[in-house]
Order: sequence, then structure tokens, then C-alpha cells
Amino acid sequence: MTRSSRPSFPLRLLWFWFLRLLPAWFGIAAVMFLMQIAIAAIVHDNANVRTFLGFLRLLPSIVRTALGGDMLESGNMTALLTVGYQHPFIMFLYMVYAVGTPTGLLVGEVQRGTMELILSRPITKTQVYICAAVLTLLGMFTLVMVMFLGTVAAVHLYTFSEPIDLSLFFRLAINGGLLASTFGAFALLCAASFGRLYLAVSVAVGFLTINYFIAIVAAWWPSLEFMRKATLFYLMYYSDIWLRWPVENMAKLAAILLGIVLVGGVIWRRRDLPL
Amino acid sequence: MASVEIRSLTKWYGRSRGIEDITFAIEAGEVFGYLGPNGAGKTTTIRCLMGMLRPSRGEVRVLGQRIVAGRGTQHTRIGYLPGEFRIWGRPKARTSLSMLAALGGDRAATARRRALAERLDLDLDRPVGDLSKGNRQKVAVLLAFQHQPEVLILDEPTAGLDPLMRQVVLDVICEAARAGAAVLLSSHDLAEVSAICGRAAILREGRLVETAPISQIIQQGEQRLKVWFADGALLPEVPLAQWPGVRIVERQPGVLHVAYQGSADPILKWLGRFPVDRITTPQISLQDAFMQYYQQQRSVTSPACGDLKGSCS
Repeated sequence: MTRSSRPSFPLRLLWFWFLRLLPAWFGIAAVMFLMQIAIAAIVHDNANVRTFLGFLRLLPSIVRTALGGDMLESGNMTALLTVGYQHPFIMFLYMVYAVGTPTGLLVGEVQRGTMELILSRPITKTQVYICAAVLTLLGMFTLVMVMFLGTVAAVHLYTFSEPIDLSLFFRLAINGGLLASTFGAFALLCAASFGRLYLAVSVAVGFLTINYFIAIVAAWWPSLEFMRKATLFYLMYYSDIWLRWPVENMAKLAAILLGIVLVGGVIWRRRDLPL
Repeated sequence: MASVEIRSLTKWYGRSRGIEDITFAIEAGEVFGYLGPNGAGKTTTIRCLMGMLRPSRGEVRVLGQRIVAGRGTQHTRIGYLPGEFRIWGRPKARTSLSMLAALGGDRAATARRRALAERLDLDLDRPVGDLSKGNRQKVAVLLAFQHQPEVLILDEPTAGLDPLMRQVVLDVICEAARAGAAVLLSSHDLAEVSAICGRAAILREGRLVETAPISQIIQQGEQRLKVWFADGALLPEVPLAQWPGVRIVERQPGVLHVAYQGSADPILKWLGRFPVDRITTPQISLQDAFMQYYQQQRSVTSPACGDLKGSCS
């Protein structure tokens, strides 16, 4: 009776999961970092830019839109560098982490049968959820910051014909981190709500993909412009981020993120897990 | 105060039944058997007891504290061995066990783990994925016992173990009970249950049909008579229609084995008419008693009895 019955925060679980995620996180981060340097290697040289733009002109217009649209023009080095932030491959990498982390940690442990072992120790379900949320959201945010560090490294590695405003990229990274974390939070909600891994992954991937394609199609086809506001990407790309901190959009994203995380937490705590 | 108290515990999964109105208690130092066929509700009871499922009704108390689902209440003091033990395959057994022990903040678990691993002849430095089924079960035993719990919830603790290791695990359970731990042992191995449990509960279709000392469970079922007739005597026709509660267990040339409930008087008087060589009264096992609960479809719940200490003590 002398031992406390209130569970302390399970730092060892956080650490155990962190070590399991680290190789995947590191791999994705490395690719993102190197991709910024590769993009800078292309766009810092005008001859390369002309070739690059010539190549872009060969692509279908919807793909050009996905890569940055009308902003991509010779001489606009800053806009060209942002290709590294919105390239579909980068989006795919974010999706892998955003969906893989919470579903692997919550539904994955349930399906493997190891969640039963975790919950047999003095740890609350809410603490388990918080551990998964911390690793998902911080992981997403740090990936975006690594991407920004890639841009910083690239700007120092190459000489550009115009000054590169790194504060713009920092704003993009912070806002992008919030957006990425919001998608991570949605995947967390799916992981907290579904008992089967394939279901949680399918719904989360479906939500991300539909959001992305609506954003691209709405930007590409003027008749569908009204659909822009129907996606979370609207809070990233259609803001005044080029000029100042998009405080309003960031607040909206933060509120959505918090709301989704809280709803997921309540669902996770209340439901009987299919152990 | 009982170490484990379950009162009117009921769990429904939507419209389908899990368990209904389960009530029993386990005292400190007692090994309590929890018996029932697959799907009877043993695992549901255990998961409610562990706070992994939210009961539809009723309550569970462990060491005096009410268990609230999802809160890890009292889990520092509970050792749990799940029925289907699955653990991370890649890390070494030591890594996973030490992480799970550390979740309870138990620093002394390392020494106990090492001692138990030596006793069970288990190499903790191999990835669990490389271990045989029996060795993985040993990891499960270590998980339950490594933090010296005051309450042990063991679901098939010896599944997949060889007879020697099975005995070691039963010894470990008995030692824990002698040291004051309350043990809930769910097992299909009824010989094992009757060897180490003082009392047992029998579960059928989600309801308790019996909670009593093992000896009483065995005695209150059928009794047996085995009769050898004299050489050359014809085996008489048994008037079963006149004797409700009597059945033939075995019939061989010259030998009749019957099971009966209540008094043996009419059978003995009937036997007096024939040349009998010898009569024995074979002891029925817990397995026989257990089978009777299911074959006869009885649904009488007997009151719990006072004989609480298990055979371990």
C-alpha cells in the first residue's frame, strides 16, 4: 500500500518508440535535406534554370501547378527554391511519416498484441496516446525544420544572382510544420478511432490525398477555384506568407490541430481496444 | 480485505454477451483457479480486472482500490501474463522486459529478472523473434513476475512449456503465493489447477456456475462405482430407467463402471442379487467434475466456501 498508484509519465515508452522511429525519421529527413540542396544546385545557375523551366514546360499544366505554377519563372530564385517545399515527392514523404507514425504506434501495437503488455503496466491510455501524439507532431515539425535547414545550407553552399530571403523560408517552414502536424493529427485521430491498421491507414491516406488533389485542381482549373477553401492547404499557400507572418491562418491551423488531437484523445480513452 | 474483489461484473459487446454478474474474491496468499471452455468469458473477466475493458456493470477492486478502465490503477502491484503472449520480435528479451519494468519505475526488477531467467534457463540476450514458443512463454513468465507483484493475473502460464519447465513455473507461482501474493490462474490444464489451486470458479457462457474449494467441486459431482463380477457371471442389464442420476461410464465383459448422484443404496441393493467379486470407488478428477458442469447443463451457483488457502500453502 505504500507504493503510489498514480502512474508517472512513461518516458521509457516515449524513448522506446522514439528509437524505433528514428531510422525512418532520419531517412526521410536526410532525403528532404538533400532535396533542398539539389533544388538549389539547379536553380542557382541561370542556364540550369532555363533548362529546368524548359523541362517544366513539357509537363502537363496540372503538374506545373503542383510544383508552384506561375511563380516558377526565370529570375525568381526564391519562388524556384520553394519547389523543394511543395514537390509531390516531398508531400509523399510527409505522408509516409504522418500516417505511418501514429497508426504504427497505436493501431499497430494493438494489432501486434503488444498494446496489451503496455497497458498491463502502470500507464494510462491517455499517456500512451500523448506519447504517440508527441512523436507524430514533433516528428512532423522537425522534418519541416530539417527541410528549412536544407535551404539554409543550400543558400550558403551556392551563390545566387539575387538575395534569398531566408525569413520567408522560415515562415514557410513554421506554417508548413503546422500544416504537416495537422495532417499528422488527423492520422492520429484515425489511429485512435479504428481497430484495424489497414482501415486507419486508408482513411488517413485518403484524407491527405483528397486534400492535396483538391488544392492542386482548384489552383489549376479556374472554374473550381471556389474549392480552394475546402482544403487545409488553403491555410498554407493562399495566405500572405510571402510578405508577413500569416498569424490568422496559423491560429486557424493550430486550433484545428488542437481540436483533432483532443477528439482523438477522447475517442482513444473511451473506446475498448480490440486487444 | 480481499486482494481482488469482483462484484456483479458484467460486460456486453454491443448485443453479444461477454460476462454476466460475475462475483468472487481472492485473498492474499491464495491461488484461485478460473476455469471455463473457450469463449466462456475468462479473458473478458481478466481484461476488465486489468482495466483494459470498460465493464457494462459492476466493479473490480484490487488491493482495496477500485479499478478504472484505462487508468493503469494499481498496475505497479499487478503481474500480468496474457493468454496470447506477443511481444516485439526485434529487440532482445532483456530490452523489452526492462522497458516494461521501467514503466512501473521498478529498479529492483533487474536482479529478479536475472535470477528468474537463470531458473527458467532463458537467454535474455537473444531477440524474442528468434526464440522458440516455449522460450517466449518463459519471457511472459518473467514479465509477470519480475517486479514482485502482490497480485498475479495469469492466463495459461504454462502453455507451450515442457513438463520440467512447467513444474518450475508452478513452483514459482506457489512461492509467490506463499510470500503473500493473490493469484488468479486461468488454465485449461485441470491437473495443474487441482495441483496448485485451493479454490476455483467455473464459468459457463459468461456466468459463474461454481465457486468452491477444489475438493468440494470434485466431491459434489458424481460418485463412481466400479464392479467386477465373479468369473463366468453374465453382466446384468442395468435398470437405468429406475435410477435417475445414474449413468454407465464403462461396460466391459465382467466389469461395470457406473456414475451416480446422491445415495448408492439402490445400486448396492441391486448388486446384491449378483455374484460380485469386488467393488471399488474410483476418485473422480477435477477434469471429470468440470466436464459434468457442461454435460449436465446445470446452472446452480453454489456459495463460496471458507477454505481459502490453496494447495501451495
